[in-house]
Amino acid sequence: MLDRLKDIVRKTSINVCIVNCGGCNGCDIELVACLSPRYDLEQYGIYLQNNPRDADVLLLTGAVTEQWEDKLHRIYTKVPEPKVVLAVGNCPQSGDVFAQEGGRVSAPASNFIPVDAEVCGCPPRPDEIISAVLAVVPKAMVAKGHENKKIKDNDS
Amino acid sequence: MIVPIGPVHPGLKEPLRLKLQLEGEKVVKAEIDYGYVHRGIEKIMEGKTWQKCIYLAERVCGICSYEHTQTFAEVLEHMAGVDVPPRAQFLRVLTNELDRIQSHYIANSTFFKAMDHEMLFMKVLELREYIMDSIELLTGNRVNMGWNVVGGVRMDANEEHFDKILENLKVVEENHDRVVELFSEGPVLALRSKGVGYMSKEEALKGRAVGPIGRASGLKHDCREFHPTYKDYFDFKPIWRKEGDNYARTMNRFDEIPQSIDLIKQAINNMPEGEFRTPVEIKTGYNECRNEAPRGEVKYMCETNGNLIKHISIRTPSIPNIDSCAKYMLVDVPTVADAIATYTSCDPCIACAERVQLTDTVTNKTVIKDLDSFY
Amino acid sequence: MSSIIWYVYEFARKAWVKAFADAKSQHEIVEKPARFRDFPHVIKENCIGCGSCTASCPSPTAIKLIRDKTTKEKEGLTYPVINKSGCIRCGFCAEVCPSDPKTLECGENHYIETEFTIIPSKRRFIVDDYLCIKCKACMKECKVDAISDINGHIVVDPLKCIACGDCLKVCKVKGAMKGIFIDNLEDQKKLINLIVSSLEEYIENQQDKLEILPRESLLQLSLPLSMFWDEALKIIPDAEIAHEIIGNAVDRLKIRVITWNSDKCTKCQMCVNECPIGAISFDEEKDTIVRDKDKCCRCSICYQTCPFAVIKYFHAKFVLDVDDDGNEEIFITVKPSQIDHDFIGSEHHEG
Repeated sequence: MLDRLKDIVRKTSINVCIVNCGGCNGCDIELVACLSPRYDLEQYGIYLQNNPRDADVLLLTGAVTEQWEDKLHRIYTKVPEPKVVLAVGNCPQSGDVFAQEGGRVSAPASNFIPVDAEVCGCPPRPDEIISAVLAVVPKAMVAKGHENKKIKDNDS
Repeated sequence: MIVPIGPVHPGLKEPLRLKLQLEGEKVVKAEIDYGYVHRGIEKIMEGKTWQKCIYLAERVCGICSYEHTQTFAEVLEHMAGVDVPPRAQFLRVLTNELDRIQSHYIANSTFFKAMDHEMLFMKVLELREYIMDSIELLTGNRVNMGWNVVGGVRMDANEEHFDKILENLKVVEENHDRVVELFSEGPVLALRSKGVGYMSKEEALKGRAVGPIGRASGLKHDCREFHPTYKDYFDFKPIWRKEGDNYARTMNRFDEIPQSIDLIKQAINNMPEGEFRTPVEIKTGYNECRNEAPRGEVKYMCETNGNLIKHISIRTPSIPNIDSCAKYMLVDVPTVADAIATYTSCDPCIACAERVQLTDTVTNKTVIKDLDSFY
Repeated sequence: MSSIIWYVYEFARKAWVKAFADAKSQHEIVEKPARFRDFPHVIKENCIGCGSCTASCPSPTAIKLIRDKTTKEKEGLTYPVINKSGCIRCGFCAEVCPSDPKTLECGENHYIETEFTIIPSKRRFIVDDYLCIKCKACMKECKVDAISDINGHIVVDPLKCIACGDCLKVCKVKGAMKGIFIDNLEDQKKLINLIVSSLEEYIENQQDKLEILPRESLLQLSLPLSMFWDEALKIIPDAEIAHEIIGNAVDRLKIRVITWNSDKCTKCQMCVNECPIGAISFDEEKDTIVRDKDKCCRCSICYQTCPFAVIKYFHAKFVLDVDDDGNEEIFITVKPSQIDHDFIGSEHHEG
């Protein structure tokens, strides 16, 4: 009973935190545009928390730069369980145009933290971001919640 | 007491480390650490053909991506001695001003977000969406447009596009004054921003502030004045203020929006007919060019070797702006909350700022330092 | 009081409750304008496999050319594949695609004219590892540090190289540093084949001169370049590229020539069994030895075998140069083989 209630809450109330680990800002302003009344993230129960400790979902933008290599994992550990990481834009997936000779990025981000889902585009449109978040995150949250519970039960 | 803020912090939308020195609650001094988004884009451009590099120049900064492509294109056009057809010049002005409006709107909306005024944040973003629609309609993408090419623009625009843009602009125009009134007449916001983060004209000169930040402190400098297209065909005068505080900076940006709308209307009404792209043959040489991005002056210095870029160096407005913000604005700010607001009011764009990285040859450590270490 | 009534009036409506319970944006937000550039759409059948999309793409991971497996029914198609997590949706690949109709489509059809298409660089510089003496003169000369020493091999980084050609000038060994043309390999092959076959034909026709050539002397011939020039331009229209390819091919070319003097032949048929690829056969009806010229690989085994000096073996070398009148000519030097016939012969007998 309690688990089912937890699932419902996890599905309908998603707190996201944007982490820019070295992008060109394009994806960031598209994420800000998602907040605008036109797209209105909050109607789907997605709330923007700028603090990783309050968030369930990390929205990762930007190719991982040199300074972020150690910090990214530290931020990831601060997000409470269950947690989901969503890579927004091409930079965290492949490094985009920066992952070539001369660029100082260590993309993809999945080298440093586990990435659950990806949104393609440079940058993706706000409606692409929203539909990806809605398609992936609620299910992943519930699944991860069950997984964590199993591990806990096995331990005790 | 020293309070570190960042790199990930509720108050900042981009990774940056602010070190605030406090006395009680008063912020006495601030220090800024760069280096979180250094990607080495200048180095990537070296040895690439110029046709490719224009898409890389776009990704120096996502918010003012348009102006970077235009400056890059103009550097090479001047080098080749090619005159861009007038229709392309007008289309460039049109897109440039649309980009400026959306950039100013997002800068102001983040300022309101930093001031914790959710309603104005939403209102401004709502207006911005109309501009983004126009940009997408015209160029085919919302942020990184891929609209400019060396020698003109990529696609022609027709009457339908212009009508739709004018329609969108009409909505913006109708609602713009009301939003500005909410800010300028509202007692809470205006009081919290008037007199906070003051920077005098001398300090702005010393800190090399450019763009709306410099203009709000009384520096009457706008590169559009010297740009051949604006000079020859458009009726344009820079807008400036002398207060030099958060209020002035925000209002200066708000004031530039109707001016940009006016410029767009001029461009659409006087749009010449004809070609919109010319072939360009790039020769070996060196050239530099400056332009007014939404945040201030962008300068490109470029050396080519035949078809290829040999060396390129980009000077973006964000470094001097953030630097002068840390040195002159974040002094004697009443509270920490106001310090964040002051920092946001200078419209920081970290992605622009970080392209230079110094390597210590002895220890092999990389350091990214503030502007003073280069002089 | 009035405000409370207003609030009740505002929130007690059915429409408000409905909107509150089921809030959704209008559908228009997901509509994309006609000009929207989505990820490029690939039409496999049109692809000509030129690779201009991969060369022009600003993003390194976005486009890959792949080839289907060739089956008995048809040859495998070559076509580009878009990696969505690398594509930046600039539409440049669609702009440069030279096939007609286009293989790549992206957003509105772009304005395309031949003068706007890009060729990244005509040449690619590579180091021939066998010839390179590792003097590193090119590394010192290179302005962009594109040449580096990796595990003892000198390597040119194509991403850094700006194709200035300075390394080519300082290279102390001719041919160790190569500036090769990468766009028209098939045409280049055709041109080289043409040159080689016509030169070979020319030398074969000089057989009577070769027959009487003493062992220690050389035969010098020359052919004007203008003989092939028109035909060469038909294959590769760019005069600069064509000239360089002919020059390179001729300078490196070595042709082995075999002459056959049937009058001396005693039909001992020793060569027939020795020939490794069966190019020599005995025609019983006409009672002669027949050599298939096209099959022959010029291995010189027949020359070494023949005890009666029917077969003679020569090396021909070529150089492209300007003669006294200023016309470009191919100078040919033919030299008899230095393999000791008698020695081989004696060994043969012992064996």
